[in-house]
Amino acid sequence: MSDLIKENEILEQIKAAFQVEGKVSSERRTEVFADKTQVSSILLLAKNQYGFKHLNHIACIDWIEENKFELVYILYNHKTGLTLLVHTKIDRENPEMENIDTIWDQANTYEREMREMYGIEFPGLVGAKEFILEDWEDTPPMRRDFDTLNYATNTYFHQAGREDAQDVRTTISTRSGEEIPDFAKKYSRDK
Amino acid sequence: MNFFDLKGLLQPLGAIKQLGKNPHTIPFDELSKDASDRYRGLHYNDLEECIGCGNCSTICQNAAIDMINLDGIEGKDGDSGLRPRVDNGRCCWCALCVDVCPTGSLNLTKDYIFVSEKSADFYWIPGVDNPKAKEDDRLSFTSGADISLSDYTRVPMRELEGGERIKSFAEVVLGYNEEEARKEASRCISCSLCTEVCPDHMHIPEYINAIAKADDEAAVRIIYDNNPLPEMCGKVCTRRCEDVCAIQVRGEAVAIRWLKRYATETAPTIELMKEIIQPNVSEPNGKKVAIVGAGPSGLTAGYYLALKGYDITIYEAKAKAGGMVMYGIPKYRLPLESLDKQIGFMESIGVKIKYNTAVGKDISFDEIYENADAVFLGVGFQKAWTLGLENEDAQGSIAAVDYLDIINRGDSYDVGKKVAVIGGGNVAIDGARVSRRYGAEVTILYRRRVSEMPADWEEIEGAEDEGIHIEIQAIPTRIIVDSNNKVTGIEYLKAEMVADDKGGRPRPVAIEGSETIYECDTVIGAIGQEADYSFIPEKYLDKIEINRGMLITNEDKQTGDPKVFAGGDTVNKTADAISAIADGFIAVKSIDKMLMGK
Amino acid sequence: MSREKETTLYIGPQHPGITGNMMVKVKVKGDTVTKASVEVGYLHRAFEKLIERRNWLQSFTILCRFCVPEPDPMELTYARAVEQLEGRIVPERGQYIRTMVMEMARLQSFMLWYAGQSGSAGLYTLGQWSVGDRDYILNLFEDLTGGRVYHMYIWPGGVRRDLPKGFKDKALRVMDYLEKRLDEYDKLLFDNTIFQKRAQGVGVIPKEKAIDWGVVGAPLRGCGIKHDVRIDEPYEVYDKLDFIVPTHEGGDVWSRAQVRRIEARQSISIIRQVLEKMPEGEYYNKIPNPMKWSIPAGQAWAKTESVRGEVGFYVVSDGSEKPRRVHVKGAAYTNGVSVTEKILVGQNIADVSFILNSMGVCPPEIER
Repeated sequence: MSDLIKENEILEQIKAAFQVEGKVSSERRTEVFADKTQVSSILLLAKNQYGFKHLNHIACIDWIEENKFELVYILYNHKTGLTLLVHTKIDRENPEMENIDTIWDQANTYEREMREMYGIEFPGLVGAKEFILEDWEDTPPMRRDFDTLNYATNTYFHQAGREDAQDVRTTISTRSGEEIPDFAKKYSRDK
Repeated sequence: MNFFDLKGLLQPLGAIKQLGKNPHTIPFDELSKDASDRYRGLHYNDLEECIGCGNCSTICQNAAIDMINLDGIEGKDGDSGLRPRVDNGRCCWCALCVDVCPTGSLNLTKDYIFVSEKSADFYWIPGVDNPKAKEDDRLSFTSGADISLSDYTRVPMRELEGGERIKSFAEVVLGYNEEEARKEASRCISCSLCTEVCPDHMHIPEYINAIAKADDEAAVRIIYDNNPLPEMCGKVCTRRCEDVCAIQVRGEAVAIRWLKRYATETAPTIELMKEIIQPNVSEPNGKKVAIVGAGPSGLTAGYYLALKGYDITIYEAKAKAGGMVMYGIPKYRLPLESLDKQIGFMESIGVKIKYNTAVGKDISFDEIYENADAVFLGVGFQKAWTLGLENEDAQGSIAAVDYLDIINRGDSYDVGKKVAVIGGGNVAIDGARVSRRYGAEVTILYRRRVSEMPADWEEIEGAEDEGIHIEIQAIPTRIIVDSNNKVTGIEYLKAEMVADDKGGRPRPVAIEGSETIYECDTVIGAIGQEADYSFIPEKYLDKIEINRGMLITNEDKQTGDPKVFAGGDTVNKTADAISAIADGFIAVKSIDKMLMGK
Repeated sequence: MSREKETTLYIGPQHPGITGNMMVKVKVKGDTVTKASVEVGYLHRAFEKLIERRNWLQSFTILCRFCVPEPDPMELTYARAVEQLEGRIVPERGQYIRTMVMEMARLQSFMLWYAGQSGSAGLYTLGQWSVGDRDYILNLFEDLTGGRVYHMYIWPGGVRRDLPKGFKDKALRVMDYLEKRLDEYDKLLFDNTIFQKRAQGVGVIPKEKAIDWGVVGAPLRGCGIKHDVRIDEPYEVYDKLDFIVPTHEGGDVWSRAQVRRIEARQSISIIRQVLEKMPEGEYYNKIPNPMKWSIPAGQAWAKTESVRGEVGFYVVSDGSEKPRRVHVKGAAYTNGVSVTEKILVGQNIADVSFILNSMGVCPPEIER
């Protein structure tokens, strides 16, 4: 287990340049929490000066209770073996984020997918609007308020023949005469 | 690269040497290779072993398994009566259902070919659609107790050491702390087979899940829905639920009793209990109910009727409430503070208990009957059966219930240095372990073998840990006294077990001439109890029927006299506290229906 | 004025030269491609959304279906990410078994690649041989896991079952057999003038732009850049094993094929080493009751090397019993979309599926 010197060094350098929060979460993992306007500058700096030439992944998480989307840019430096994760949060009502495919070409694919799946706008993004889905009119499907069960029930028909399914708890409580109070029912096993 | 690259042109022609070889594809019809020993094919369920817990249906992530009723399979204790059916159109053969099956009845087979024109045929009932799979040795993906996903090992309970324990009446079982409780609660699979067997039908999966989710207050509220003495049950219940727990089929049952105790101990004072439970006492409805006996059945009836707005008075002959629970169970199993707290909580919501008021002596049954709209009798079995031995009335010969009563009410009784206890039930063990704590050397004499003793196995183990000797196959014949009519010993015959021709359990038959004398200072008899109905005047006995010492009631716990209800040991055969509580709870509903017409 | 007109052709989504369903819309002038655009979406099963409705253990049954030719790296990466979040340690025997399963998956995927690569060049014999030989490995998988293609065997905490009796001998026999066959394939494919002429100089990735474009896996090593997650961030027991990671200068189809040729042999060697060195002991660190198993809140990133390149899982937990977000980066996500579109320009139509096979494009991974 190394003493995390390099990880801390990168962290300090970025903190000094941008006044952002950050931490070293484990061996070879440095994480930085930035404002969305600072992200592309951090990425450029990391790529050109600190050697993080690889863009491994751009992840997107829907924090519906905070009304924000979180984007995580994962960079990798092959010489030192360090991974840098740049987190940022953008507003969920009008989600907009800077297009970084001038820094890395491949970001184009990630951004097209996020535009389609989450509805995040990337001004200046070039590429066909439809990436994975076709003729989709509903809310962007990876958002947490899109209910897939509802959609499936309304769009497709159910195969007949399973109506005689029983619930074990109901069968046993009916047979024994047990009355389960309503406030307890939410702790019963869910199917 | 030069086109005339001879090597590059000729090398590939080496493939021609494969021309004469046999292909390694297998002609299907001739040499059909059987699937491997671990193949994940169609399902098979052993319908006898399956207990219908529904765990397979819950874990299936494709929602492919339904639990259905099958002809010829009836539900019973420990079996819901339902069996799984797999929708093969949705199943992905991941075999998670096999890995979580607690009994190991569900397996996958080596068969994978199934053809039909009708889509309804693809609803596959394992065990019914392939009944011979086990005999024909087709089972492949199976799950043993060591690789199953169910957790079969209970979190161990800490107890005081045997040598430590006998120095005092400190509580032996130390209880779970928070971490242990959460871990134990997460073992439960919420199948609810336990609720059917519990006489009171407590909502067990619900409160265990609440504990697992760290909602201890919700757990307490769920428990108090139909049991007002849960801390007592959490310490001493006979736990029939654990005998049918799905996990005990191949492992150790979920510690339902200890979890109940953990939940109730999160409210250590009456004020906290009120805060958490928030008992909702209805407006007084003007009806009065009198209850005879403040045992578990009387207290339960009183508590729930008081919540419904009835005016409740409980007449208790002794100085403290609790009945057998207070005066029969030793304090190292159920501490005094615990019972005081629970009874105090009931009194705080308006249940009136009149102590030292024996019905029939201090107040007449007539008076209670006339002044109340309904009467509930929870008098219990107070009188011990006599042993029927010579010199039983000697000084030093005492019934266990009387001995425990004396000790529990705070008085003292000198048992001397050596004690003989006769009997094999919980009362006998209680008597033995209490005398041990007074420094005596104790021997229990039982007619049959240890495995046939009706006492709780934990109590028997506890007694043995404390250095109590159990003399099995011992039939007492007479008590030996000295010139002052004081006990000096007990004589017994050794017995041998003789098989019963009719297939019943073996009987002990005394061996001629095997008289042995055990010298002792005290003989404690614990072979059973009966009720004392002398408080009921003659004229009521036309309607209130007593048969073989038990009050006869209908399923609503109503006696022949429609105004009189009864519950507890005098009514049910199981004779434990939880059955008494269940009787009280049923009587509440019946009294309510009769008086308020609901 | 040239008589060549620019036409739009649709290659796919059903095409024998593409492993999966993907469409490449090319604009051609005569025989030469002037513009390519990759359209995916035929295999979208919405797995990431489905996983959000299932709990941590139920989700693992979906993962193998992310990538059809090689399902195991998906299971392994998910398991490693969850173990990272929870801090769960996998016992040593479990790690060895996992490594062996990964290499076996890699080997059988190479067999499929041989079929695809030579088939798209018109050399169909090798395809028949390699798919037949691949069956021996699938039989080994059937003995070990119960299924031939979708194994559902590696889960958080270790592996699901121990090695069956007689597995080691059987596996070593299969490895011996396959090693001899690989030599045969070499003679048929790599010593073949036709293949050499077709593959060299085709589908070139410029070395200085490779990392920028996001190329991973064998195509990257075929440009002369030595990147492999197994030696960069070793996981399981790769740091205890002896193997080389080959590179080849050139950046064309020929270099990538050379890289894969050597890697296939390395896989056999790794499997032999693992079987020799495997310790006795536990193979599974048991999870609690799966319906009540919750993972502490946090975010984890885990990478493994599959046959096509880096596979990454970003797993987010909010402390409950269901994953909050599992965002998968398939290896072919960058290789197959933006890179392919660039290198197809200027190539011959006949080479389109040839290049796609060499890039290791696996459409189910791209759109999950």
